[in-house]
Amino acid sequence: MIQIKASAKKVTALLLCGVLIATTLLLTGCGKEDQIVIGTQTFTESKIMAEMYKALIEEQTDLQAKVIPDLAASAVIINAMKKNEVHMATLYSGELFNNHFPVEETKDRQEVLKQAQAGFDKYLGFTWMDSLGFENTYAFTVQSKLAEERGYERISDVVKDAGDLRLGVDTTWMERTNDGYPAFRKAYNVEFGQAFPMEQSLVYEAVGNNQVDIVLAYSTDSRIKAYDLKTLEDDKQFFPPYDASPVLLKELAQKHPEVVQAIQPLIGTIDEQTMIDLNYKVDIEKKSEREVAIEYLEQQGLLVKKNEK
Amino acid sequence: MDGWIAFLQERSSDIGTALQEHIVLTGISVLLGCLIAIPLGIALVYSRWNWLTNTVFFMANLLQTIPSLALLAIFIPFLGIGMKPAIVALFLYSIMPIMRNTYDGFRSVDNSVLEAARGMGYSTMQSILRIRLPLALPYIMSGIRITTVYIISWATLATLIGAGGLGRLIVGGLGVNKLELVVVGAVGAILLVLITDTLFGWIERILTKRYGRTSSTTA
Repeated sequence: MIQIKASAKKVTALLLCGVLIATTLLLTGCGKEDQIVIGTQTFTESKIMAEMYKALIEEQTDLQAKVIPDLAASAVIINAMKKNEVHMATLYSGELFNNHFPVEETKDRQEVLKQAQAGFDKYLGFTWMDSLGFENTYAFTVQSKLAEERGYERISDVVKDAGDLRLGVDTTWMERTNDGYPAFRKAYNVEFGQAFPMEQSLVYEAVGNNQVDIVLAYSTDSRIKAYDLKTLEDDKQFFPPYDASPVLLKELAQKHPEVVQAIQPLIGTIDEQTMIDLNYKVDIEKKSEREVAIEYLEQQGLLVKKNEK
Repeated sequence: MDGWIAFLQERSSDIGTALQEHIVLTGISVLLGCLIAIPLGIALVYSRWNWLTNTVFFMANLLQTIPSLALLAIFIPFLGIGMKPAIVALFLYSIMPIMRNTYDGFRSVDNSVLEAARGMGYSTMQSILRIRLPLALPYIMSGIRITTVYIISWATLATLIGAGGLGRLIVGGLGVNKLELVVVGAVGAILLVLITDTLFGWIERILTKRYGRTSSTTA
């Protein structure tokens, strides 16, 4: 009898321990109440911007921020924001056309941004801030040498040779509905000889090393310059504008207006060349995104240098 | 359900291409793996130098521990993008399990059997082909089957370096939030595994039968 009692006690103690451990794990698993989660896509620029937001938020508010890097695409980020798992990110105005809600067809930069701001506010509850000052759009690029030889200036110039050209693109672009490969083929009436879908960050090296002939680059990527590539003009205006803006949950913006205030100084201050230079420091000079972000903020006087504090 | 049928019809050619690329990727890598690893495994059984056997196995084990994504990335500077680096990476992964199983299969043959064969005047080559290989066959085949299963699953990563395959559907679907594509890519890989495994089962049975007969006639 005594033995049974003793073992019953042991079991209870063990169970209690188990419950305690489980609850601690659960509690630590759940994010902290005041932590802002910033999501980034796989390319450098969105990571640099996230580090800037984080640094500014932590400097000027009592809140903490955490960066989740390498989310596969904007759709993943937007879904995570809907579920309150990500609170903030950099998004591009052309996102408007990805079937989130009804939109009016237009290619005007201001109009697209305005519609994105109104629509994402109304339908998804996101606060879409004004543009940071740069656009990062899709850009078809070829080696400068090839462009010179064949006189390529615009995408239309390539159409006649497309059958012999090897195309390198991001895997995701093949599947995009409105500005992906199927729609592009129709718009330019073009069919490339071979298409190699791959990870976006590899396309620059691939075209630079002659493994493909033409690639779809991101216009702010510093490797366009590093690999001496020529951007072809989108003469049929196929791609919508892609102005970059910080986007956060409306709930967060209302509850903590200081977050919006902390980021506000960045709005309209980063032009394309600045972003290309910042990307260069990470992609070519191999500095960390965080280092580059903080260095920039310090140069701009938005962040006080650590050693001067 | 109708949505699924419409989706499958609309994308059938893409799915077909992806499946075909996937079969080529895995097929060539496993085939190369067999061509290298089986003779290598046999050679190691007969090797007089223990250190050589140990080194080869150490290297093969080491290769196995490199994360597949990293191995794919490592080859880009040397082999560029596309099928070539993907096949080389997958081939390297296939070496260890096939070689290990061949080696163990050959070692599992009882010494007295080999003694008897030698007594009957079998040369080394004859004893390899007529005695050890048939007896080690189940080991070798299980090595090939295991390898094929995980090469099929790892080949889904090859799309990141431009080699295509079912991974193209999975990565593309993930990017634009089309769950159908992800599911089709995954189910495709599962079906491929089931089909090849059944196929290998047949091959194994046929081989065993044949070898059984030849050995009984020669004995």
